[in-house]
Amino acid sequence: MNTAIRKRLEAQLRRLESLPALPVTLGPLRESLDRPAEEIEVDRVVQLVSYDKSIAAQLMRMTNSPLFGRKQMVGTVREAVLALGFWRVRDVVFSCQFPKIMSGWTKSVDHVSFWRHSLGCALVSQKLARLLRSRSAEKAYLAGLLHDLGILVNATLFSDQFASTLQRAKEQQTPLHEVEKEVLGLTHAESGRILAEVWNLPEDVATVMEFHHDVGAAPTAKDLVALVHLSDLLCRLREMGYGYYEALSVDFAGSPAWGVLAQHCPHLDRFDLTRFTFELDEYAEEVLTMVSNILGSNTNAA
Amino acid sequence: MAGTSLTVEPPLEGRGAPADPHLVRIRDLIYRLCGIYMPDNKYYFLGDRCGRRMKVLGASSFSDYLDQLTLGSNRDAELRALLNEITVGETCFFRNQPQVDALMKIILPKMIEAKRKAGYCRLRVWSSGCSTGEEPYTLAMLLMEASQSLLAGWQFDIQATDLNDHSLARCKEGLYSDYALRNTTAFFRQKYFTPEGDQFRIHDEVKARVDFQRLNLRDDTRMVFMKGLDLVFCCNVLIYFDGTAKRRTVQHYFNALLPGGYFFLGHSESLYGVNDQFRLVHFPKATAYWKPSSDAPPPGAK
Repeated sequence: MNTAIRKRLEAQLRRLESLPALPVTLGPLRESLDRPAEEIEVDRVVQLVSYDKSIAAQLMRMTNSPLFGRKQMVGTVREAVLALGFWRVRDVVFSCQFPKIMSGWTKSVDHVSFWRHSLGCALVSQKLARLLRSRSAEKAYLAGLLHDLGILVNATLFSDQFASTLQRAKEQQTPLHEVEKEVLGLTHAESGRILAEVWNLPEDVATVMEFHHDVGAAPTAKDLVALVHLSDLLCRLREMGYGYYEALSVDFAGSPAWGVLAQHCPHLDRFDLTRFTFELDEYAEEVLTMVSNILGSNTNAA
Repeated sequence: MAGTSLTVEPPLEGRGAPADPHLVRIRDLIYRLCGIYMPDNKYYFLGDRCGRRMKVLGASSFSDYLDQLTLGSNRDAELRALLNEITVGETCFFRNQPQVDALMKIILPKMIEAKRKAGYCRLRVWSSGCSTGEEPYTLAMLLMEASQSLLAGWQFDIQATDLNDHSLARCKEGLYSDYALRNTTAFFRQKYFTPEGDQFRIHDEVKARVDFQRLNLRDDTRMVFMKGLDLVFCCNVLIYFDGTAKRRTVQHYFNALLPGGYFFLGHSESLYGVNDQFRLVHFPKATAYWKPSSDAPPPGAK
């Protein structure tokens, strides 16, 4: 991103009285899960998850949800951790904490739409990555979940302007980032990048946040960026978007992101995209159910 | 070809209650042979429709019935009978709203602009396999409405064809049940229909917009005369064709379209493995196939 935009964003972020922090639990948990698999201690992870009762409860609920594909119900945190595997524990805990992540920022973004889009994109990215046997499959979920966090930053930093940005995007039925560029002079991709640095998120996740609308420009993690870019579009096309009608017409197979993915995933030419999109419609229903359940339970707890 | 679909394996992650595995195989068989996809939330419906056929045949389980569909001496006729059960009574006016939105909000505005530049203010539409007329009349009403705005000063022709004389007679009669109008808004009901007892008759001005003809899609000599079309609709017709016939018919549609024209299938149909000259384009909750044009850019992928 150009230095003028970076400076402007950094200055704006400094002016916030308190920058919303990454929820406390996520720090130590991420640290213990970022180690090489053989060094991760199950007991330590279980302890960290159990530390917060609401997280533990949500971990159980999500582990037993059809979206995470459990065939047998799990009854304890330990069982959940073992059943999911460490990568999934991290994914699920980040998902559980998502309402908390959102609550630090302005309420002017509709939380149900935003979370539905984020969770939908996480699940679709992961599903797509697995089907395509992508090497980035393990990271796809988290990158999909967090790719749009810059929207929360923009909505907070530029509250009035952002409200009119969103309004204009709705009226014109155009993608949000295009209108952001016109109205704010920058997009949620740029502010997402800054936030990722402040929160010390993994570098490839930060790259996805910065380049998910401009795959060709990504310097690294190109396949992950392409994967999330396509999943983002698929979600917006299948009722897991920003909550308004976007007049999108997308030729996936002819898009630059598809070309990038084709270099990394030899299976792509055998991939039945039409069928995949049909399946997403069922996903959309389940994602919405999960979002309402967890947002609902979160409101009750507060 | 279609059997190589990557989305068949591995199975979908945790989709609610598992369906009878033989029913799943019947679903996959229908998709492979006919290109019509029944999502998981339609298993109940699929099971019910298979049940009707099983009663006729005296088959006691989905496993038995699957054998009849795959190994029975009468398997082609049986598949056809099952498809009749699945698609019966499906048609109505404004049957596929996302498709209507994609057409009116996204495709037509761009197409009109491109054609106007070329100085050609005429639109040609073909409703192929029009059954009892709901589809071509829906298109006629939509284009008549657009004549006030988008299509002001434009000419449009709608051709509608079907093999079945009985269906064509009903098109010309133009009398419809309340059920056929279940998706029709009060605006269109009042403007274009007159109640007759408990039925509704479509106005002559709409009828005058559609040219009905009997046409067998397998009649190659007549198919080659279909030319110069901008939009072709072929909903739930190709599902009855085997692979070879389907490829040949789709090739006719491709040839009949002008470059830059669009080909539409039914809600859950796909051309996967049938034709690779068309480009699959995604719209919100809808897909269509685009015939590449050297003048017009491919639909945007941002």
